[in-house]
Amino acid sequence: MSRVSRNLLAGLGGVALAVSAASAMAQAGNEWGTYGGDYANTRYSTLNQIHTGNVNKLRVAWIRSLGSLESQQSTPLIINGTMYVTTSTGPKYVFALDAKTGAIKWKYEPDLPSDYFATVCCGLDNRGVAYSNGRIFVGRLDAKLVALDANTGKELWNVTVMDYKTGHAITSPPLVFKDLVVTGYAGGEYGVRGAVQAYKQATGELVWKTYTIPGPGEPGNDTWKGDSWKTGGGSTWYVGSYDPKLNLVYWGTSNAGPWGGQTRGNDSSNVLPYSNVYTASHIAFDADTGKIVWAYQATPADVWDFDGVNEGVLADLNLGGQKTPVLMKADRNGFFYVINRRSGKLLSAQPFVPVNWAKGVDMQTGMPIEDPTKRPQLGKWARNVCPNLIGGKNWEPMSYSMQTGLVYIPSFNMCMDIANKEEEYTPGKFYLASEFNLDMAGSSGTNLSEFMAWDPVASKKVCGVKEDLPFLGGAMSTAGNLVFYGNQHGELKAIDARNCNVLWKFTVGTGILQSPVTYTLDGKQYLAVVAGRTKGPPSFFGKIGQRVIDASPEGGMVVVFELGS
Amino acid sequence: MVNRQRWHGLVWAALLLLAPLRCGAAGDPARPTNPYEGKADAAEEGRGLLNQYCAHCHGPNAVQGERPRDLRRLRIRYGDNAISVFWITVHKGRMDKGMPVWGGVLPDDTLWRIYTFLESIQTQP
Repeated sequence: MSRVSRNLLAGLGGVALAVSAASAMAQAGNEWGTYGGDYANTRYSTLNQIHTGNVNKLRVAWIRSLGSLESQQSTPLIINGTMYVTTSTGPKYVFALDAKTGAIKWKYEPDLPSDYFATVCCGLDNRGVAYSNGRIFVGRLDAKLVALDANTGKELWNVTVMDYKTGHAITSPPLVFKDLVVTGYAGGEYGVRGAVQAYKQATGELVWKTYTIPGPGEPGNDTWKGDSWKTGGGSTWYVGSYDPKLNLVYWGTSNAGPWGGQTRGNDSSNVLPYSNVYTASHIAFDADTGKIVWAYQATPADVWDFDGVNEGVLADLNLGGQKTPVLMKADRNGFFYVINRRSGKLLSAQPFVPVNWAKGVDMQTGMPIEDPTKRPQLGKWARNVCPNLIGGKNWEPMSYSMQTGLVYIPSFNMCMDIANKEEEYTPGKFYLASEFNLDMAGSSGTNLSEFMAWDPVASKKVCGVKEDLPFLGGAMSTAGNLVFYGNQHGELKAIDARNCNVLWKFTVGTGILQSPVTYTLDGKQYLAVVAGRTKGPPSFFGKIGQRVIDASPEGGMVVVFELGS
Repeated sequence: MVNRQRWHGLVWAALLLLAPLRCGAAGDPARPTNPYEGKADAAEEGRGLLNQYCAHCHGPNAVQGERPRDLRRLRIRYGDNAISVFWITVHKGRMDKGMPVWGGVLPDDTLWRIYTFLESIQTQP
C-alpha cells in the first residue's frame, strides 16, 4: 500500500472513530453508540475477539453500584472511553464512568417531584440515554426531556414534554439523528393520548409533534366511537428506529385505553369501523416533518393490553429472491411481523409463541382473524387467552444477527383470564376498565419463558432455551457466533448462535432485564451488563409473581466482563 | 358564687363534644367502623372490586410478593389500627410511594367492601 493511501486510511480511521461516536448508523463494534446498537435496533456487534471457543473464560473485570433498587433496565453507551449509564427511579442518576475502571467521571442527579410514583404504571424504569455531538439526552419519569453536556454532566436544557400529573412519563431513551432528538412517552394505562415529538438537539425547541391518535377531521378519527379518542392510549413509551436513506422514523404504539374497550367500539370481534387507530400499531413518520407516511395496526380494537411498542428491527432480507427492506417485530400479541419498511406492506405474520386469541392474520386485509370466545366483553370473561397481556414478548429487546440471519427473542409462555368492566376516566388515575387473572402458565409446558432463535424468512423457530421463570432479559448477538441474555435468577448466559447450546453462564446476584453490550478498549473486547431484578409487573402476577420476587433480591449494578487467560 | 346550673350545662356540653372521640362512632376518621364487617357477600364483592381497581399494584385477590404492597399483612403491621391506616391511606393516598388518592374517586361503600375482603384474608402472625 502506498504511503499516500496509508496516511489517508489512517486519517479516515481517526475520522471514522469520531464520526461513529456521533452517528449511530454504523454497526456496533468498538463502541456502543445507541440503545439498540445501531439505528436498526439489531443489537448485533461485529466484534469477535470473544467467541464460542473462549467465552467460557469470561471473568468479572469490575463492578459498580448504581445506587438505586427497583427494576434496572439501562443499556449503557460506551463512547470515547466513557460509559454512560442510567439507573432506575427517575432516573436517580445518570453516570459517566471511565469505561476501563468504572471510576465516576460525573453524575447527574435530577430533582424530581416526590409524587410522580403514582403516575408510573409498571416500574420506575429508565432504559438509557442517547448521545449526539457532545450532548447526552435522557427522559425522566416526570415526563421531562433533558440535555446534558457529555463531558461535564451539566444540564444544558430541559423541556416538559407532557404533564406527569395526568399520567405521562418517559421511560426510554430518545432517538437522535441530524439535529433532532425524538421522544415518545408512557401513559397508556392512564387514558393519555399518545404522541411522538421532535426537538432541536441544540436548544430543546419543539420542531414537530404528531399524535398517534387522529383528532377530529383527521384521517382515522372515525375509527373511534364518540369521544373515546381523547383517552385512547396509543402511547409511545419504548424506542424508535431510523432509516437514514428513506428518512423515516419508526415507532410502535401502546395498547388502546382503557383496556376494556366497550366504550371505544362495538365490544365484539366485528370490530369495524372502530379499529381504534393507531393504537397497537407501528407507524412510519417522515423524519423531518413528523407526517405519518404509513402505519400497520397489529391488534385492532385492542382489549388485551397488546401494546404495539416492541422495537422495529430493520434489515434487508432475501425474500423470494428479492432483497427487501423490512421492519421486523415480535409483537406483544404473539405474532412475528415482517413489513416492507418503505411501503408498509405486510409481508408475513406468524405466531412465535402459542396464540389463541386469533387463528392467524388475513394477508389481504392485514387484520387478525379473531376467535370471538377469546375477546373479553363488558361483564363477559375470556378464559385462557394466550399469550397473556405481558405478551409473547415484552419490551426486553430481541437481536438480529447479521452472521446467522436469525432473530433471538426473549419470549413468554403464559395465558390469562380477562374481562371488561365499567369505569369512568379520572385524570392521573389508572384507567383500565378491566379485571384479569395472570397467575396462569402457558399452554405448552411448565416453562414460563423461552429464549428462542427465530428464522424471519422461513417464519419458524430454529432452537430455544426453556426457562422456568418469566421476564427474560434482552438479547445481544455478536460476530463471535454468540448470543447473550439474562434471567430473573440473575444468570447471564452465552449461547451458540447456531444451535442455542449454553456455553457460559455467570450469576451476578440480582435479576437481569436488559441485554448486555460489548465494546473494545485498547484493542481488548469487554462485555457490560446492568442488573437489578424486575419490580412492578410481578406484583400483579399472584403466585407466579411471588416466584419471580423470590428468585433474587432487588439490586442495582453494572458488571463488566473480560476474557481471563 | 358559680351558677350551678350553668356549670352542669357546661359539663354536659363538654361530655357531648368529647363523646364521639372517646366512643369512635362511624364517620370519625380516627376510628372508622366498617358497615359490612364480617359479611361474606360484601367480602366477595370486595374481592372483585379489589381486582378491578387495586390488583395491578397489590396483586390479584391481594396475593402479593412485594412485602410493602402486601395488604394481607395489615393486621400484622398495624394491629387494631389497621382499619384507620387503611381508611386514611386510601382516602389521602401516599403519593411519594405510588399509592394514589382514592377519596372522592371511589365511593366509601366500594372501599368498605374492599376492606371487608381484606379482613377475610389477613395473614396470621
